[in-house]
Amino acid sequence: MTQNQLGQMYALTVMTPIDPTRAQSVRDILADLPRRPSPFARLKAAHFARWVTVPDFVTDPSQPAPEHLPGPYLLFSVTFDGLLDAFLEQLTASLETELQAIYGCCVGAPDPARGEPLQDYLRHNQVQTGLFFSAYPDATVETVMDALGVRQRTIDFAIRAQGMHPNELLSAFRTEF
Amino acid sequence: MPNLDRADIQGDILEAYGNRYLHSSYVFLTVGDEGEGRAWLSERIPQVTTATRWQGPRPDSTFNVAVTHAGLPALGVPPRAVASFSDEFTEGMAARAPELGDVGPSAPAHWDRGLGTGDAHVLVTINALSDDARDAALEALREGLGPYVHLSVTLEQHAQMHSNAREHFGFADGFSQPAIEGVSEDSAVGEGVREKTGWRPLALGEFLLGHEDEESRTDRRARLPSAPDDPLGRNGTYMVWRKLHQDVALFRSTLREASASYGDGDEAKLMAKVVGRWPNGSPVTLWPEAPPAQFDARSPGANSFGYTDGDADGFGCPIGAHVRRSNPRDSLGFEGRLTFRHRIIRRGMPYGPPLPANAPGDDGEDRGLIFICFNASISRQFESIQRQWLNDGNIFHLGTDGDYLLGGDGGKMTVQGSRPFLLSPRAPFVSTRGGEYLFVPSITALGAIADGVAA
Repeated sequence: MTQNQLGQMYALTVMTPIDPTRAQSVRDILADLPRRPSPFARLKAAHFARWVTVPDFVTDPSQPAPEHLPGPYLLFSVTFDGLLDAFLEQLTASLETELQAIYGCCVGAPDPARGEPLQDYLRHNQVQTGLFFSAYPDATVETVMDALGVRQRTIDFAIRAQGMHPNELLSAFRTEF
Repeated sequence: MPNLDRADIQGDILEAYGNRYLHSSYVFLTVGDEGEGRAWLSERIPQVTTATRWQGPRPDSTFNVAVTHAGLPALGVPPRAVASFSDEFTEGMAARAPELGDVGPSAPAHWDRGLGTGDAHVLVTINALSDDARDAALEALREGLGPYVHLSVTLEQHAQMHSNAREHFGFADGFSQPAIEGVSEDSAVGEGVREKTGWRPLALGEFLLGHEDEESRTDRRARLPSAPDDPLGRNGTYMVWRKLHQDVALFRSTLREASASYGDGDEAKLMAKVVGRWPNGSPVTLWPEAPPAQFDARSPGANSFGYTDGDADGFGCPIGAHVRRSNPRDSLGFEGRLTFRHRIIRRGMPYGPPLPANAPGDDGEDRGLIFICFNASISRQFESIQRQWLNDGNIFHLGTDGDYLLGGDGGKMTVQGSRPFLLSPRAPFVSTRGGEYLFVPSITALGAIADGVAA
């Protein structure tokens, strides 16, 4: 597997330090984002995406010594179809308002946090990964949505066609599909 | 073996009072003055029924107390102690309605007055052997409230056992319960945890706070499960109270109509496939064609069954059947390790009159089930069952299909068979009329709240 890639999918992980005085602002902005639809729904190539605030490491009881982050971090994790550059362009164009508010609270981010400077900032803070999960790495979001549509049509048809005479079934099938 | 301080634990949690208590009344109170609330509570504590085993005849009625999150400050519990309760209890059931599937006709906006609004502070539960005993207990409750002008009854809900302990759809209910260490060890087979050496009961801390749970019992470094600060947490537990309306006429007519095209049996069999048990409680997975003439759901071993040996594909008990979803046992593989931490103790009771078997349609009466369960973690136990197993089908490879018996999500149900049968999506048979998340304090904790010294 190429780094960050599996099939036609790319996994982007970005960790950016949050200005400690603005950690609560980031949490508030994230909490206030709409859920249905999520702003991530505007990213047509994205399978899964999330922002997570990481205040510090948790010390496992079996760990010899506690480890700490120098300050709070923001994790951005997303899996999408295609390649990084095109995705970052789409991301910064589609979520301009949200990104500006969120990354405006991060240390070292461009001001204003948008456009190409923001793309460079995200690339700079990328964490490379050699392993990530994808349920169907060869299927694009479009393929998955189409397949779900076919699945629902098939279910609806199966319920409707239950108990039909074979000839009637054939005719109904041809009409539907 | 955990040390059970029965005199400190409220009754009906770990062991049911039993089917001889035919009547249950649930009285929600609003506490408008914390001093009055604590004085009233202080007077009532000697009356609270504990888990102490009865030596002589059982009492005519029992008396138990639980508190909602809004009830804690109303009784003067200090903010720091209030903050030590779990997040889901703090948010309350109404705030979590979308996650629980309480949407559309089940949404809090349509709930019975006084539920999900923050007005319900204290729940008094009375179980009684007879009509007279219930009336006397309720009268005594009202008299006891008399002097306290700032305590008022928000809602009274009465429920009554039907013959053979059947719920309104006609099925025996409530007899399959988790086996608990030090309490119900005899039923460990099928109701506990399967180890290489055999079955063992679940750790007490899964159902009672302040005791080792399934994590801390094996991992000595793990802390006891999260509980409210002392002295509130130990020997208390969280309670889920839900009023679930059942549309019996719709359930019957839907299954009657569907059974006309069901090739593998009659209406009774199709109903049993939807539920996963026959009306007498016998599991469909063991008796797929017809129920045994005699089946005692409470007899030893009556619930010692699984699904993977012989019924993995759901040809006996459908994979989406209600009881297989709500307690999948070994269905999810890994010898039950994905399911044993999501068990609840259930204490439900039907409300409203039964719909006669020959009723032509709905008679407009309000009827259903008062669903009650006890668990140490509402999110891990009750809510996980509701969200992952009943309202979604993904984990069972059933797509987005929810539980057909509850319904409302518009999903279908597949009755597996050599020729599968599909039940069409339809309006819900069950809708939520209200509910609250509650905390059932120990006797010690009730005393601490009443004395105003909690935390």
